[in-house]
Amino acid sequence: MSASHVERLVAYAQTHHPRSIIGINESQASAPHDFERIANPYLSWCEMALGEAAFEKALGAFARFSSDVNIAQARYEASGQYEHKSFAQCNDEVYNSAETMTEYLWGVYLSNFLWAHHLELMLFFEQRFIKKLGESVLIVEIAPGHGGWGLWALQQLKHATLVGFDISVTSIQIASSLANASGLATRAQYRQMDAMTIAEQPTAQAEACICCFLVEHLEQPAKLLQAMNHVLKNDGLAFFTGALTAAQIDHIFEFKQESELYLLAEQAGFRVIESRSVAPSRLLRGARYLPRSMALILQKVRSI
Amino acid sequence: MTTLIEKLTPTFREIFEDEALQLTTDTTARDVLGWDSLQHVTLILAVERRFAVRFTSAEVADLQSVGDLIALLHKKGVADA
Repeated sequence: MSASHVERLVAYAQTHHPRSIIGINESQASAPHDFERIANPYLSWCEMALGEAAFEKALGAFARFSSDVNIAQARYEASGQYEHKSFAQCNDEVYNSAETMTEYLWGVYLSNFLWAHHLELMLFFEQRFIKKLGESVLIVEIAPGHGGWGLWALQQLKHATLVGFDISVTSIQIASSLANASGLATRAQYRQMDAMTIAEQPTAQAEACICCFLVEHLEQPAKLLQAMNHVLKNDGLAFFTGALTAAQIDHIFEFKQESELYLLAEQAGFRVIESRSVAPSRLLRGARYLPRSMALILQKVRSI
Repeated sequence: MTTLIEKLTPTFREIFEDEALQLTTDTTARDVLGWDSLQHVTLILAVERRFAVRFTSAEVADLQSVGDLIALLHKKGVADA
């Protein structure tokens, strides 16, 4: 019997990325059945999208991404503030570099299940958000990045369609390649658009909206929630995530409390239906901040 | 003369809480219990303080072995002494 994608990934990590293996094992042990159920298709899509040496490229990207996150968090612990304050700085260093973005996005893609606390968020997304949606909904995904969240929703909802808007050409290329690899391309379209301008343009009124880990990259997070409100029908549902006291090179808006994300959503015409705040179990030695990832399931209650 | 590997050894022993730890230029995370991605950053910060240098994110990520770390310190002007 041939080895599964997960078995091959773990074997490769043990040999080539030993610093990553403790975290990978931790995630696998946290929910063994769900880990396999999510990781195997994610890795299969990755292998089809990247072709030869897929795991070498993707796992290398994941190891570098994890290292970058840890060093950014360590600098944040020392300085008490995120390194960058403006979108322009990040645009120059990250978003405008196809090479940097490609590596970054593949690293983030694997972190959806190789970080135990993000696997927990994936399960919250699947079991508490997707299950609330009808089989044939229209989903708007704002800043899909690698596209993995929206594609997971499409895989569960057999007649749903998705339109994704991302400012990054590299994101659109990677999300499209994964849509093709997963056989979901006929139901997923991606277009280049700045999330900050969505509220100014006519768009289809969707039953669902997904926006994962964009808000901390923005100078004006309220505008993002306005865009999410704009694309949704009344009573439409949104899955919205953000990072709190969790540094990365391109995080510029420092959320400190979960209530800040609640308030943003409520001020933008949503009611919070459910939320989940998760954190890594292992922290930097002597850490004063707890880096959290928070997900909220929102319902549009009024247009703004 | 004290070599860099001799200077690094107490830092590694303290971070990984192993007084018997012996380093060679080929030592990697596979050889040291607890050398995961988080402890790697703790190690790097300790080395930065010890030698008054600062590493970039890319340099931190690319380090694979003690030999790589020594080569990087040399590149930053830290000499055996």
